[in-house]
Amino acid sequence: MTLSVSIKKALGLSAWDDRNETLGTTTAPTFGTFHLDVEFEAPPGFTILFGASGSGKTTTLKSISGIVSPDSGRISINEEPLFDSDRGIDIPIRKRGVGYVFQDLALFPHLSAVANVEFGMSGQPKLERRRRAEAMMEALHIPHTASRRPRDVSGGEAQRIALARALSCRPRLLLLDEPLSAIDEATKIGIISDLKSLNREMGLPIVYVTHNREEAVSLGERVVVFERGRVVARGLPIEVFGSPITSSVAKLTGVENVFAGRIVGRSEASGTMTVEISDGIAVCLIDVPFGNQALGESVTVAVPAGDILLATEEPRSTTLRNRLVGSISAVEERANRTVVSVQAGVTWRASVTRQSVTELGLTEGQNVWLAFKTHSCYLLDQTL
Amino acid sequence: MPEIDWFPLILSLRVALIATAFVVVIGVGLGWLLARRRFFGRELLDAAVTLPLVLPPTVLGYYLLVLLGRRSPVGQAIESLTGQPLVFTWRGAVVAAGIGALPLVVKTSRTAIAAVDTNLEDAARTLGQSEWRVFWRVTMPLASRGIIASAMLAFARALGDFGATLMVAGNIPGRTQTAAVAIFDAAQAGRDRYALVLVLILSAVTLILVYVTNKLTVGR
Repeated sequence: MTLSVSIKKALGLSAWDDRNETLGTTTAPTFGTFHLDVEFEAPPGFTILFGASGSGKTTTLKSISGIVSPDSGRISINEEPLFDSDRGIDIPIRKRGVGYVFQDLALFPHLSAVANVEFGMSGQPKLERRRRAEAMMEALHIPHTASRRPRDVSGGEAQRIALARALSCRPRLLLLDEPLSAIDEATKIGIISDLKSLNREMGLPIVYVTHNREEAVSLGERVVVFERGRVVARGLPIEVFGSPITSSVAKLTGVENVFAGRIVGRSEASGTMTVEISDGIAVCLIDVPFGNQALGESVTVAVPAGDILLATEEPRSTTLRNRLVGSISAVEERANRTVVSVQAGVTWRASVTRQSVTELGLTEGQNVWLAFKTHSCYLLDQTL
Repeated sequence: MPEIDWFPLILSLRVALIATAFVVVIGVGLGWLLARRRFFGRELLDAAVTLPLVLPPTVLGYYLLVLLGRRSPVGQAIESLTGQPLVFTWRGAVVAAGIGALPLVVKTSRTAIAAVDTNLEDAARTLGQSEWRVFWRVTMPLASRGIIASAMLAFARALGDFGATLMVAGNIPGRTQTAAVAIFDAAQAGRDRYALVLVLILSAVTLILVYVTNKLTVGR
């Protein structure tokens, strides 16, 4: 599934309902007419639309979902058009298969949580609907809210209900409009990691709108930066935000491997630098993307635990440049994943599914290979 | 004291009930149209359906008489379809009472529907619901207090209609004489006690309806 969007729309500011007013910021970048003219693609995984209030993010989401019709352009999922002004195609909202979590969630106040989640599953037997709704609520850790009304649940629970409702229709695409702006960090991280693990099976493109830079950095596999209705930058967060992300952000967002190291090699030709990571006694070397750090300079390297692959034999024929061998020092069960700690010079943490742990028979003391891409290594702007 | 003739009261209740049923369906439909659809002449339509509220009932009755009378095309069409004329029957009283009550339903339900968050309706659409289902599953339940209140007001209004009913249905005792008309008749003929009984009953029923309506709209 890949979403591609290329649309133009002129909006009179008076009619422009961006719903960002709740943030207390001005929505109008200029007076008169606002011109939205954007183009981007969203493959499976998170794509962040980042920009200030009034940069056209919500209008873009509304166009994708069909709530707003662009003046011209194309929107398609896997080449299947949802909107195409040249061919006169404008698929109605209900037939687009687009899950949309609104900024204010838009939970139905007159229905219980489970009825909200079931809402989109009409046309199926009652028992089947209930069973699927309960399974989805289970996966999002909110079965206890089932009989409550939306006004009687916490902010985080409401977010999860809205997610469950959108996902239970089996959408081909998920749109999230500043979904987590009103809840605290810990709750936010929990919801994101649950959504990420759910999406490992579903493989949906998730378009996530935010005006929060830390959120954009931490979530993003890709960031598209909006400014006054235009796309002004796109790429990895690290590219878009001029590389250095802070180590606090890295930790906050579940990048669990953050190490101090030193540049011991630079090769512009291969596009890599070698970093020596040391905990004072043992040492390990890894390749990181080429940057402007000098030879011998102290750096901080971050590697997301989810980007590390574990193998019981040396993974030889792969493009993964970083291969380390070590022994398992711990296997910890978390809410929805298993974290395997591996001693290989320093202690690495790899996040894997419970199923892979069972299949590979991973236990403490066993030797395993760690492998990860050069581009899974991020250099942070702070030394530890 | 002679036996009290309950016919006018029973007829009034029947006329008001049937009129309310029709008017709620038509009025809520119009209210939805005015609240949710943008079209040319929207406010003109709103003004037109408000007219029965402000026109003298006799003027309204006159229009209906001309429109539905036995010599008008509409009247003749109805007569050939149903086998009997509409004017000077109790069905004519239903039409007269209904037209008088329509503005109340349109106005109240327009306001109630406009107050429903459009985001909720859009959310329902993204969940695969057709416009018809969005209306029944989201708009209607959330606007239901206002709509029920409008139905009760409509019933109260239809129950008390006098001028238009007299013009369209006439004053035929035992056939088209509703309570409001019977009160006029009784007062004219000096049957004061009978008039008083009907007046008190109508007042009590209307008071209860308006009281409950207020409870529904204010007490949230």
